[in-house]
Amino acid sequence: MGARDELREMASGFRWGRRPMVPRSAEPYVEEADDEGFPTDWARTKAGTFARQMILNGVMDPLHRSQIALRVYGVDALDDVEGPVIFYSNHSSHLDATLIMCSMPDRWQRTTAVGAARDYFFDVWWRQAFTALVYGGFAIDRAKGGTGAIDKARELVLDGWSLVVFPEGTRSPDGHMQRFRHGAARLALECGVGLAPVAIVGAYQAMPKGRLWPRPGRPPVTVRYGDVLYPQEGEPHQELSRRMQQAVAELFDEDRSTWFDAVGRAERGQTPSLAGPQGPSWVRTWEGTRPVPRRGKPRVWE
Amino acid sequence: MPRPGFVLDVDERTPPLLVNQGEGFRMQKFPLGTKVIYPPDALPGVKDAHGEIRRALLHPLGDSKPLPELLFSGMKLTIAIDDISIPLPPMRTPDIRQRILEHVIEMAARAGVEDVELIVATALHRRMTAREIRRMVGERVFRSFWPDRLSNFDAEDRDALTDFGTTDKGEEVEISKRAAESDLIVYVNINLVAMDGGHKSVAVGLAGYRSLRHHHNVHTMLHSTSYMDPREGRSAINDSVNRMGRKLSDDGVKVFQIETTLNSDTFPSNMGFLNKREWEWSMADQGLMMAAKKMNDVAPPRARRDFFRRIEAPYKVTGVNAGEVEAVHARTLENLHRQQLVEVQGQSDIAIFGIPYLGPYNVNSILNPILVHCLGLGYLFNMYRNKPIVKQGGVAILYHPVPWEFNQIHHPSYIDFFEEVLAETTDPKTIETKFEERYATDPWYIHLYRTSHAYHGVHPFYMWYWGAHGRDHVGDVIFVGGEPKSVARLGYRRADSLRDAIEMAKDTVGSTPSITYFHAPPIMIADVR
Repeated sequence: MGARDELREMASGFRWGRRPMVPRSAEPYVEEADDEGFPTDWARTKAGTFARQMILNGVMDPLHRSQIALRVYGVDALDDVEGPVIFYSNHSSHLDATLIMCSMPDRWQRTTAVGAARDYFFDVWWRQAFTALVYGGFAIDRAKGGTGAIDKARELVLDGWSLVVFPEGTRSPDGHMQRFRHGAARLALECGVGLAPVAIVGAYQAMPKGRLWPRPGRPPVTVRYGDVLYPQEGEPHQELSRRMQQAVAELFDEDRSTWFDAVGRAERGQTPSLAGPQGPSWVRTWEGTRPVPRRGKPRVWE
Repeated sequence: MPRPGFVLDVDERTPPLLVNQGEGFRMQKFPLGTKVIYPPDALPGVKDAHGEIRRALLHPLGDSKPLPELLFSGMKLTIAIDDISIPLPPMRTPDIRQRILEHVIEMAARAGVEDVELIVATALHRRMTAREIRRMVGERVFRSFWPDRLSNFDAEDRDALTDFGTTDKGEEVEISKRAAESDLIVYVNINLVAMDGGHKSVAVGLAGYRSLRHHHNVHTMLHSTSYMDPREGRSAINDSVNRMGRKLSDDGVKVFQIETTLNSDTFPSNMGFLNKREWEWSMADQGLMMAAKKMNDVAPPRARRDFFRRIEAPYKVTGVNAGEVEAVHARTLENLHRQQLVEVQGQSDIAIFGIPYLGPYNVNSILNPILVHCLGLGYLFNMYRNKPIVKQGGVAILYHPVPWEFNQIHHPSYIDFFEEVLAETTDPKTIETKFEERYATDPWYIHLYRTSHAYHGVHPFYMWYWGAHGRDHVGDVIFVGGEPKSVARLGYRRADSLRDAIEMAKDTVGSTPSITYFHAPPIMIADVR
C-alpha cells in the first residue's frame, strides 16, 4: 500500500474533518436516570413555534424550492383529520424531515414535532439547538430499542402534539426502503392515534446519504400524503407496521402510475415492493440512483 | 477505577485498527462483525513500592515467618532472580527486582549473614551479559557481588547440581547444588503472565535438562490447555512443576518466594498510542503513529531493531507478595487476573494475532522464525482460560514478516534446527523422538551455552513444542505478509493481505466465518465462556 493510499485510509477511517465516531459496541454505558439529554420543551412553546414557522416558511421552504423541483400531493387527505397523528415516511435523505414540515398545512405545522436520533442530532449543543428550534425536535434513542426509546414521543402525543418519525430508523444507504422498526406502530396502538403515511420520491436522487447539499440542476422531488391509518382493536404491532409499509408502497405506486391503477394493484396484492432488487449492494445502489423522470414538458436543454 | 477489557464489534464506525507485525505495525480494516478483544486499562501502581516490599517481607503469606526471622549469622543464603526474559519489554530502571534485592540484602547484612550468593535463574536460557545483569540488579548490588557471588545459573555443570530423586510420577528433580544446600533460597520473581512464578521459579529456573525434559515435552504441551491456566488439572506442565516443587519442599529445600505483579503500562509515552484504543486516538496520536510507521518502514533493518530494543516499559508495580510459595502464588494470580482477564463470549472460526517484535527469548536479539512460531502459537494462542479463542479445527491468522534471520550468538542451535530438523519434518512428536537427544547433548552447543551467550542446544525444540497445542488445535495457520520460504519451512501458508487470508481460511471454516482479533500487546488473558 502506497503512502497516499495509507493516508486516504487513515483519513476515511478516522473521519478527518468530520465528527469523530465511537464504534457502537464501545460507546460508554449511560445510566438511564442520568440521561435527560438536551432540553427541547422550550422549542414547543408559543414563541418557539412562532420562530420555527418563520424559519420553515421564510427560509427553509424557499431555499428548498430554489434547489429542488418540489411537488406536493395529497395534503387534502388531512383535511378531515383531527389531531394528533404520527406522520411517517420512507427515509433516504436529510431533506425528508424538512420537506414534510414545510409541505404540511399550517394547522399541522404548528403542532408537529420531529423525532430525531439522539446519537446523531443530539450530540453537540449547536446541532441540538438547531434540531429543537427548526423541527421542534425531540430525541429518539435508537440504541435503547423497545418502548424505552419512545418515552418522550408518548409524552408529546398525549400532550396533543403530532409527530414526524422515520420508522426505518436511519437513512437508506441505497435509496430503497428498509424494514420498519416497530416503535411508531407500538406508539399508535398505545395512544390510539392515527398514522399518516407520506411517500418522498426522489429525495435520495437529490441528496443521498453523504451529501450535505442537493445535487445541482433542481432535481425533482415529490412529497405525497396518503389517507391516515388507524390501529384496529387488538391488532399486533407487527401487523400495523406491515400496513404502514404497504401504505407507503401504494403511494409510491400512485406516484409512478395513477391513483386508480395503484388502488387496483393494491387490491390484487400486486403493489410493487419498495425493498429494491435482490443481489449485490451495487445492484441495489444502481437501481436506487436511477434518475426520477421529470413531470411536465421536457426542458429545452435536456 | 480503570476500565476493564472488552470485546468490540467492528461496525462501519470503527477506524482501521493497529496490528503488530514484528518490528513494525500496520493499520488494518477488519470485516464488519469481527470481534476485537481489548485488554483492560492499566491498573494504578502502588503508591509506595518500598513500603509495599517491606510490608511483604515482614508480613509473609502462608506458614512462612517474616524474612528477618529466617536470616541468621553463619547461614548460607542463596538469592535467585528471574532472568531477562521477563518483563517484556524490559522495565524502565530501576527494575523492581533491584528494589527487592536491595531490601533483602539489607536485611541479610543486618542479620550478619555473610555467605550470600545471587544466581540468575536462567535454566537453559542464554547467560545474561554483565551489562544486562547490572541493568537488572542495579549498580550497588552488581558492584558488591559480581562476578564471584552473582552469576548466571549453569545447567550443564554436573558437579553443581543436586539430584533429589523422582516425584511419584517418576519425574527426575535436579536443581542447583548451591541453592539445594542453602539454609534459605529467596526467589525474586516478576510475574508477567499466569504461567510464571509459583513452584516454576525454583523447580524450573534452577534446573537442568534432565529435570526439564519431564515437562518440556510434546505430551505435556498437548495436555496443557492452556499454559496460562495453572489451575490443577488444566495445565499438565504446571501440574508437573508443582509436583517437583512440592518434592523439593518435602526434601527440606526452604524457599522464601517474593512475587511481583506489574500493570499493563507497556509502552512509553512517545508511543502512547500503542496503549490506547484506536477510536480514542487524538489527532496527535494519529500523526505520531503515521510518522512512526513511515520512519519504521523506510529505516534500515538495523536502525529499526535498535529503535525497538530501546523501548523500555514504564510498568508500575501493582503488588508484592512474599512467603510460602503456593500461598504467594495464589495471591499473585489474583492480582494478575485483575489486570489481564477479559471475558469473551464464545469461540470463533478464525482468530487473528499480530505478533509483536519481542518475545521472552529475543530480548536484545532477533525474533527468528522458530520464535515467531512460539510467540504466535505458543504464547498468544494460549492467552486464554477455559477454551481457546478459536474453535477446534479453526484457522489462526498471524501477522509477521517471518524473515529468515537468526542471531548467531544467541541462537546457534536454532539455525541448525531450522535448516536440518524442520527441513525434514514439522511434526513435534517425530522431532522429539528423532532429534531432541542429539541436540540436547551436543558438546558444541553445550560449550556455547556455558561459555558464550547461547541458548541451550535443546531450546529450539522447546520452542517448537510450545506451539504444539496451538498447532494441534487449529486446522490451518496463515501468515499475512510472511516471507514465503521461511513460512513454508515452518509448515504454514502465507497470504499478502487479510482479505486473501480470510478467503484461504474459508476452505477450512466455511464461507461465513466468525472472526476474532486478539488486540495484544498489552498482555491479556481471554476468559472464553
